[in-house]
Amino acid sequence: MSKMKMADGSTILRRNRPGTKAKDFCRWPDEPFEEMDSTLAVQQYIQQLIRRDPNNIDLILKMPESQDEGVWKYEHLRQFCMELNGLAVRLQGECHPETCTQMTATEQWIFLCAAHKTPKECPAIDYTRHTLDGAACLLNSNKYFPSRVSIKESSVAKLGSVCRRVYRIFSHAYFHHRSIFDEFETETCLCKRFTQFVTKYNLMSKDNLIVPILEEENTPGESEA
Amino acid sequence: MDTNGNGKKGLPRLRDIIRRQQQDSDCYFQGGGADFPDLEFTYDDTDNHVNEIAELYSYTEQPELQLNVKAFEDQMEIYDFPPSWQKLPSENRKSVVMKLLDQLEVSSKPLRMRSARCLLYIAQGCWAEMQSDAEQQQWARNNSILLYQLGVFGAFTDLLNIEFENSTAAHVAMRKIAISLADSQDLRVILSVLYTITEVMRHEKSLGSTEFEGDVDAFCNEIAYSASDDLLIIKLLSMVTRFCSGSAPHFPMKKVLLLLWKLILVSLGGMNTLRDLKLDKRREFGLPYYNEDTMEIAKTMRSSSPPASASDLLEAQNQKRNTRPFRRSLMKQSSLDDHDTLGMELDSSMGGENGEDMNELSEFDERRPANETNDQMYTYNHETYRPISPPSPNALVLPKGLPWKPKVRQKDIDLFLDTARLKFLGYSLPGDRTTLFGLPEPIHEGVKTLNDHIYTSLAELQVQKEEEIARNPISTSEGEIEMTATEILYQAMLPNLPQYMIALLKILLAAAPTSKTKTDSINIMADVLPEEMPMTVLQSMKLGIDVNRHKEIIVKAVSAILLLLLKHFKLNHVYQFEFMSQHLVFANCIPLVLKFFNQNIMAYVGEKNAIPILDFPSCVIGDQPELTSESLEIGDSAAFSWRNMFSCINLLRILNKLTKWKHSRIMMLVVFKSAPILKRTLKVRHAMTQLYVLKLLKMQTKYLGRQWRKSNMKTISAIYQKVRHRLNDDWAYGNDLDARPWDFQAEECALRASVDRFNNRRYTQINDSDFEPVDNCLNSVLGTNHDLSESFKKHYELWLEQEVFGVPIEWDNLLEGDKYK
Repeated sequence: MSKMKMADGSTILRRNRPGTKAKDFCRWPDEPFEEMDSTLAVQQYIQQLIRRDPNNIDLILKMPESQDEGVWKYEHLRQFCMELNGLAVRLQGECHPETCTQMTATEQWIFLCAAHKTPKECPAIDYTRHTLDGAACLLNSNKYFPSRVSIKESSVAKLGSVCRRVYRIFSHAYFHHRSIFDEFETETCLCKRFTQFVTKYNLMSKDNLIVPILEEENTPGESEA
Repeated sequence: MDTNGNGKKGLPRLRDIIRRQQQDSDCYFQGGGADFPDLEFTYDDTDNHVNEIAELYSYTEQPELQLNVKAFEDQMEIYDFPPSWQKLPSENRKSVVMKLLDQLEVSSKPLRMRSARCLLYIAQGCWAEMQSDAEQQQWARNNSILLYQLGVFGAFTDLLNIEFENSTAAHVAMRKIAISLADSQDLRVILSVLYTITEVMRHEKSLGSTEFEGDVDAFCNEIAYSASDDLLIIKLLSMVTRFCSGSAPHFPMKKVLLLLWKLILVSLGGMNTLRDLKLDKRREFGLPYYNEDTMEIAKTMRSSSPPASASDLLEAQNQKRNTRPFRRSLMKQSSLDDHDTLGMELDSSMGGENGEDMNELSEFDERRPANETNDQMYTYNHETYRPISPPSPNALVLPKGLPWKPKVRQKDIDLFLDTARLKFLGYSLPGDRTTLFGLPEPIHEGVKTLNDHIYTSLAELQVQKEEEIARNPISTSEGEIEMTATEILYQAMLPNLPQYMIALLKILLAAAPTSKTKTDSINIMADVLPEEMPMTVLQSMKLGIDVNRHKEIIVKAVSAILLLLLKHFKLNHVYQFEFMSQHLVFANCIPLVLKFFNQNIMAYVGEKNAIPILDFPSCVIGDQPELTSESLEIGDSAAFSWRNMFSCINLLRILNKLTKWKHSRIMMLVVFKSAPILKRTLKVRHAMTQLYVLKLLKMQTKYLGRQWRKSNMKTISAIYQKVRHRLNDDWAYGNDLDARPWDFQAEECALRASVDRFNNRRYTQINDSDFEPVDNCLNSVLGTNHDLSESFKKHYELWLEQEVFGVPIEWDNLLEGDKYK
């Protein structure tokens, strides 16, 4: 880490200036969580861990001590939604409204797009966009999440439904656009991280996590039935 | 099809009613009603939780309850769980709910509705597994809270939106001749879940328990502080209007209205909240603390005996004439002890032939709440109500008094001073409220007493403020409008408030017991009537009761909704209240309520439209006794119908709210001949009901004529005893100059103008350009684009020549004269 330290060493601006080259993007030294003093420390910390090693999911999901759990969950979900946009962009090339006319995974369950006032059937790619937009709206809403330092219990309760809806993007990609999913997953481990995240914080029922992502590690004891 | 269910009540009920009516007429002719104890009815925001849940379901819905268990068992089989909620570890319960939630977002409707039914069964407390009602209640409570925590309420709001937009269902229903339960199946499942959660939350809130405090608070906030376009309350109100417009006849109105009522209650608050809010607001406005709570005092009052018939009154008068001098002096001392001026006034006005009725006051034994802790204990104390019994001297020694502190408005004092000055000095001093120069001593005393009893209401201050803003729109600022739950609701209701009021009243009309089902009126029975009409006598008896019960519940919900809204708007801003009440009046609310009371009110209050063994959850827990004409009445012991009493009081209060201080509307009471109707309502032996009736009678007494007063002295005495005195208000005998008939229209118009001004100022952003600051920045003035016509653009040079260069501008004038320097 020390070799990454910038030459002058006095103050490090952790910022991507206009004109920053792709290889230099976010290339700044890590900072211990305790020393992060901005209001966005949790986000910064999570992103730092992900940049360091997206495979080290346990570490990424390990909540620092004395951290508010609501905020921790919130920031993670925020991060998931941001990164999911990457998957959405890749899906756009292959998942067209004409081919994937509905949001499905397996079982032929077609899901309604809840982003509308009256939920309705949207093509898969629209579902993806609408749901990510809806999630962004909710997570940035002044009403439910006015602060990123402390979060009301009632607002934390909203996260469950976001997870439920967002997960369908993973399952659609897995069952219908496997190659894109695999490519994205090897790069980011996002689905695996998401699966572990919702399992850890009990935000979704395990039986609804239909993408077989944790199988190789801990199959036994997963199903409670 | 007899949608009214009349004549289907069966023998036992008929007998019951006849018996009741006999009692009724007996006591009427006896004039005393000594055998009729007070009704032990305690007015509250709602009935108890168990009844409030039971009223959600019609008896005809009972078979559907089994569908819920079936759905649950099927679903649990799919999940590979045993079909027992109780035995499931709490982790798995959560997981089941989350899976059901997932399924709720599936596009296939049968799948979605199966999941919805499961969730309903869970919210209902998984009754098939329960041994007792208490156990079921406990589980219903815990499950409902769990469902709320996992976001079920939000998910069902989405489902409601889907069903609201479901045009196929509406079209199917509109084409049918007879709409039945089957048409609203899905909607009823959704509304039932929403209602159950809401009612559990309301119950928790009213208990004030701390266990789920956070959830209850979060729930209330969510209901009250949503963005105005997705307030659930507004959604439900628009369901009501859509139903009334005929484009969605399948909407199950009873459930919609019940949910609407509970949501308003839980988000805005009930009686206690209203009282606290009022105290807070008064403090905020710097008004003196006022500790009389109408509800509390009215609860401790005791009822009067019903008014006597004319013949009886004559008889009684003859007997009483003997005791007259003795009683009169006593009465004055006891009830008017500390207000000498008032006593004098009364002496002169009550003299002569009317005076003898003063002695009837002894029948009314009232105490201030401080003196009486347990009023319900006295309800069977018959002796005090016997009219001819000799007055016991002890009764007068007791610390009695009027229940209310008399009030007077500043306006009345001003009037009093003005009259006195004109009389003694010969000229008036407008605006001077203190100078007593040249006035005799008794007037000084009078002013002192009046000033002791002055009461300034919040409404007066709000009106004053509004006038001030209208006078100086720039310099007077209202300050920031506090976005209270009521304010948010008002703003959201504002665009369609008239339609909402009309729709609610239409439903009230259709549900009123006196109204006949006409072909043109809306059919509110769609959510009770089964697809197949009953075949046996017993079945039709059951349906008859069910239909009547259904109507009663609708009346209960609508009356409670209207009253709650009126009360909250009044506190929030008096013009919000006036806006709503004016629309109620325009929609004929006053005659409608009077029509409602124009029935055998004793029968209505004593109505027993309930089959306790069929109430949820009794109908599904334990062994079910066979339904016979006898078992219909098992467990029904109440002497009166709680909900009908509740509706009556609500409607009376609404009528009071609409007419208070409004001459034009009081005249409507007179024109619609409300006095005999109200007098009959007095027969209900319940103090609070009587109080509100007496208030309504008091305000119109002076228009009813001497003959009416003469033959209704007993009622007048009751008014004197029970209703607050307004000092200087010559309510019974005065010839009011304000009551000139040609003023009425003007009064209502002036009010309307004020209300409109208020709404325009506060809620429309049309600012008067005269009051806008003038833009004098060169850049922005020249930078503004103006739409100029083609011909102007072509000939603008001509315009320049004529209008600009042709007119000499004396710039130097600007420098001359002081005001420009």
